[in-house]
Amino acid sequence: MAVSPVVTHEATSNVKVTAAKAKSLAVRTNSFPHKTEAPPEKKQGGQELAERLNHETKEKYVKDKKLGEGTYAIVYLGHLKADPLSKVAIKKIKVNTEYRDGLSMDAIREVKYLQELSHPNIIALHAVFSSKNQNLNLVLEFLPLGDLEMLIKDSEGIRYGTAEVKAWMGMLGRAVWFCHENFVLHRDIKPNNLFIAADGEVKLADFGLARSFSDPYRPMTYQVITRWYRPPELLYGARFYSGAVDVWSMGTVFAELILRVPFLAGNTDIHQLELICQAVGTPTEEIWPGVSKLEGYVGYEKASIVPVRGKDFYLARFGTAGPVGVDLLMSMLALDPRKRSTARQMLEHRWWTSDPRPTAKVDLPRKGGGLEKMGDDLKRRGGEVEDGRGNKVARKLNFGATK
Amino acid sequence: MAILTEDDLYRTSTQYRLWSFTRESLSSLRCTTNESAADGVRAALYGQKATEQSSKQDSNVSPTPEVDYLSVDEEQKLVGYYCIQTMKFADFCDFPTNVKATAVQYLKRFYLSNSPMTYHPKEMMPSALFLATKTENHYTSLESFVSMLPKATAEDVVAPEFLLTQGLRFTFDVRHPHRGLEGGFMDLLALATGKGQSNPKTGASPAQLQQHMIDLEPVTDRGKKMSRSAEEVVRRIQNAHSKAKELLKTSALLTDAYFLYTPSQIWLSSLFFADEPLARFYIDSKFPTQSPLKSTLLTALQTCATLLRSSASADPEDSEVKELKRIDKKLYKCRNPEKIDLVGINKAQKREGHEDGLDEKVIKKRKMEREKLEKEAEDIFGPALGVKDGK
Ligand SMILES: Nc1ncnc2c1ncn2[C@@H]1O[C@H](COP(=O)(O)OP(=O)(O)O)[C@@H](O)[C@H]1O
Repeated sequence: MAVSPVVTHEATSNVKVTAAKAKSLAVRTNSFPHKTEAPPEKKQGGQELAERLNHETKEKYVKDKKLGEGTYAIVYLGHLKADPLSKVAIKKIKVNTEYRDGLSMDAIREVKYLQELSHPNIIALHAVFSSKNQNLNLVLEFLPLGDLEMLIKDSEGIRYGTAEVKAWMGMLGRAVWFCHENFVLHRDIKPNNLFIAADGEVKLADFGLARSFSDPYRPMTYQVITRWYRPPELLYGARFYSGAVDVWSMGTVFAELILRVPFLAGNTDIHQLELICQAVGTPTEEIWPGVSKLEGYVGYEKASIVPVRGKDFYLARFGTAGPVGVDLLMSMLALDPRKRSTARQMLEHRWWTSDPRPTAKVDLPRKGGGLEKMGDDLKRRGGEVEDGRGNKVARKLNFGATK
Repeated sequence: MAILTEDDLYRTSTQYRLWSFTRESLSSLRCTTNESAADGVRAALYGQKATEQSSKQDSNVSPTPEVDYLSVDEEQKLVGYYCIQTMKFADFCDFPTNVKATAVQYLKRFYLSNSPMTYHPKEMMPSALFLATKTENHYTSLESFVSMLPKATAEDVVAPEFLLTQGLRFTFDVRHPHRGLEGGFMDLLALATGKGQSNPKTGASPAQLQQHMIDLEPVTDRGKKMSRSAEEVVRRIQNAHSKAKELLKTSALLTDAYFLYTPSQIWLSSLFFADEPLARFYIDSKFPTQSPLKSTLLTALQTCATLLRSSASADPEDSEVKELKRIDKKLYKCRNPEKIDLVGINKAQKREGHEDGLDEKVIKKRKMEREKLEKEAEDIFGPALGVKDGK
């Protein structure tokens, strides 16, 4: 399985039937789980096969201490019963609390997409089981070294340069490319959703807002992505959008890695747009044909229009990335989503092959001391101070609007 | 390293990993499920009889009569009927095709490891459809969903959800063949209008490919070569497309196609069914040279097309309805009595769950209260019957 389009320089073909496909069309696997899992003891007081499989999964793991608590889940450290040295994170989703409509959309999305996406830069979902109180438990790979936000913020303790940024951005880019290749939009890319594994690998997590985008004619909600990382088309209320939204978020993460403070930290959606105009340029019909037709587009007075920022402007702020790096950053922050680079184009950019080479993941700076040493302030997530977990409330209220 | 093609991706999907079978493994799984469900019913009925007997203290009660259980085939018919009902209801609610198709697959997947003798499809159906609205991003509030149901409460919809997700083994993604068909349709149209790509192997130019299509034998009059215009070919493709599309919306969902074939195989088979010469032309344009792979593919497409043809019609005939009624009547006698009240089971499980989280003190207190109540009960009604008999 390819983890990046750049490993081979052959273009991935979009042809519907390829040689590789013919092979898998013709060859079917024989390893069907059900067949081999035929029950040895049939009688179990009417326990159905599904119930038994669930029970078996549940019995494989042991919950240890609590690691943390999120908005809709409690996360525990756990291990495989058969291997006490193994470590997993068990995320117990509070299913039956305040949400009356059964399984919540966050939980469904997270489970649905993580079940399908297996990639070194996407958090691995090892198993799912329900405990008898009907809570859903996600057995995730244990990622002990915090998230990218902690590293960015710890400007006293952690030093890094372009080579490290390149390594992190490369891993993020491959994760997002893989999502898009699978027709999945993540829609919440930000530093604190980028966890770090024990070996330094970056792992994209939190698929609670993800969705597939296979049907281009179906409108989608624009109330997604934490504001600081939200692209202009969503701020203008676009209902038809693409992988370009995630690329914008990656661009802002890239900028934040260099600046070591959030690049565009708006207090309100209006303020966010103002910041974008200042830092990137004012979206107008000339540079972004069709933008004025978006529902939330606000006209700009001639005098206030900021021309699209040129390379020099970026070099002044992001000079450490070098001219090639700045070129990549600019392509990710194109205002018109159609002109923005795709995840694939981003990975094909020559920045990755130009000097300096990306730092090997084992040599990447990391939080020392692991979990215990982290202060509470470091655990707090960006953007959380004023509006909770992104626009958590807004996103809940807006599910009805996704139709 | 391999290039990432659509089929490499398919191999990592849960549909491939957990929900793909051979005919043999599929039928053996269904047998196992049927047998263990029957065992469950037997155990539950026996348990019931035993308590009835002890309470009636009737000394000469005959042993539990052997119950006539549903056969795998009967289970299948019943589930199939409720799949059709699900589709009708989804249409009534104006849900998009993917919601409808996913809901039907959820039911089919659920009943691979569960029997209608344990959970009646009538009760699982609304839950499956509601879950599909959520997983397919067509979220409708429970309230408005319930308002569209003839006679069900919000609890009836949500109570089986937990069982359903467990039966689905917590995999919600269903890969449908519809998108593939649309892609193939576009490809064919491009070829028919001379805008296709020239064939890399045979070197046939777009114009030659177009002519080739014009010369294709017609669908009905086999063997008779007719020369037609490019416009007629386009119309032919459109006809085949709508016929294939219809098939994907009905028999592809109702048969075991999703369990046995990949989405690409299914849509190619539907094209095969709709217009075989056109399908063969398309496949030849993709695999110009003979190979074992190609012949295996063609065989798979033929068996899949046969399967698609075999599907029960969406409107059952009188005889089928009669049969369904018979099965449902039979089911009435062999249902697992312990699993009928799904709302009640759901509540009980949640209660149990809450006790998980209670601290020791509360549990202890409750235990004492319960013991006290039991004591009082004993005082009032005398010792429990079992105790007396047990001596
Ligand atoms: N895979 C993991 N490995 C280690 N710790 C984790 C993992 N997932 C989550 N955590 C910890 O649990 C906390 C809560 O996680 P989560 O529910 O995902 O948070 P949120 O709802 O804020 O996104 C996190 O802040 C983190 O400290």
